Amino acid sequence: MNRLNGLLPALLLAIALPAAAFDLGKVLEGKDQKSGLSLGKTSQEDEIKIGREIAGNLLGAAPLVKDQALQKYVNQVGRWVASQSERSNLPWHFGVIESEDINAFAAPGGYVMLTKGLYRKLKNEAELAGVLGHEIGHVIKKHHLKLLQKTQLLSLGAGVLGESVGKDNDSIKKMIGSGAEICARSLDKDAEFEADRIGVILGARAGYDPYGLPEVLQEIGHTSKDDSRVALLFKTHPHPDDRLARLGDAVGDRLDKISGKTLTERFYKMKD
Amino acid sequence: MRPQLLVMACFGLLLASNVWAGETGSALKNDILRAEPYSDSKSVGALKRNDKVDILEKKGAWLKIKAPKGSGWVRLLSVKRGATSKSSDVAGVLDVASGRAGTGQVVSTTGVRGLGEEELKSAKFNEEEVKKLEANSVSAADAKQFATAGSLQARKLEYLPAPKGGAQ
Repeated sequence: MNRLNGLLPALLLAIALPAAAFDLGKVLEGKDQKSGLSLGKTSQEDEIKIGREIAGNLLGAAPLVKDQALQKYVNQVGRWVASQSERSNLPWHFGVIESEDINAFAAPGGYVMLTKGLYRKLKNEAELAGVLGHEIGHVIKKHHLKLLQKTQLLSLGAGVLGESVGKDNDSIKKMIGSGAEICARSLDKDAEFEADRIGVILGARAGYDPYGLPEVLQEIGHTSKDDSRVALLFKTHPHPDDRLARLGDAVGDRLDKISGKTLTERFYKMKD
Repeated sequence: MRPQLLVMACFGLLLASNVWAGETGSALKNDILRAEPYSDSKSVGALKRNDKVDILEKKGAWLKIKAPKGSGWVRLLSVKRGATSKSSDVAGVLDVASGRAGTGQVVSTTGVRGLGEEELKSAKFNEEEVKKLEANSVSAADAKQFATAGSLQARKLEYLPAPKGGAQ
């Protein structure tokens, strides 16, 4: 019963959150007040526009893998996992992109992409759910949006991020910088650890084996640091061993009674 | 089901649940070795970070391991499986194909694509691909149906709090 009681406030919060417009001022409240800057508001609509611009730039570097069945499958799994989050109502989009690098990306507003190289490493649907859950975690916690805001605060002040965001595309372009460089930047380590914790829970909530994401981290941890396919991933994320250890600390005995499905048989095998 | 088939099916199940068994690994942190795979089971030894271990058995979220200071059960998140491989042959081939071999720079944009900082920075918006991405979207209702087809059942679970000692 304890668990249920604790869940109620979380559920109420989950209901309340999507409806609220995103208030940049609130997000950066502490810093705002100190610096005296007013950042105005970014609505969910603006958040999606920003994400779309970033996703489009990323797709300019690596287009979608031309395998319609694969893309559909990843959207089915991703949408189901995202439905377990407090931002279920975002227009979620998932894609596998044409790159042998091992990496995954999230952009504000519900855009999530993983590389063909990473997909190839996965052994079952629970692992895919865990990876997508990690990226969904970045979206629901607005990690990249906060990173953009921080940068903006430092370089240009409040101007660009103010009310004009979303009203014209040029201001968005200015904000996200050159191409998809935001995807090459590191979030702080705690944002990555947080996304790991969310990925594990969203996967478990969706009915999967909660150890899908840890299993992928085990697998990636076996890749040599000299392997160029993980160069960017290792540069922008804490080492998989640290991520596993931190997850272990966070999980403790909390998932002892939670098992779930891996759905190895249903896992979509890529054509090449 | 014929007895032989049943035996084979059971053996298959055993294999599937024991993919970790027979492997080696190392401890990701200090932990307690327990007599049984339960958190309240009695301690039978200690595991130290970086200890080399043999994985004997896996049961749910628990691994039975042989460590320098005894054998027992620990949670699987306490153990890193296997050893880090050196740069694999596959990666080497891919590096050649993507023009990354030797120089560390991408010298060719054909063949296997890398996705490093430079490629990301110089990327140009591709409207057509975004439209495709958006057209692939699945509705929440369809996703639910997909989950049901896989016998996935949604359940309530609280998010994990940040572990103590973190910066959060």
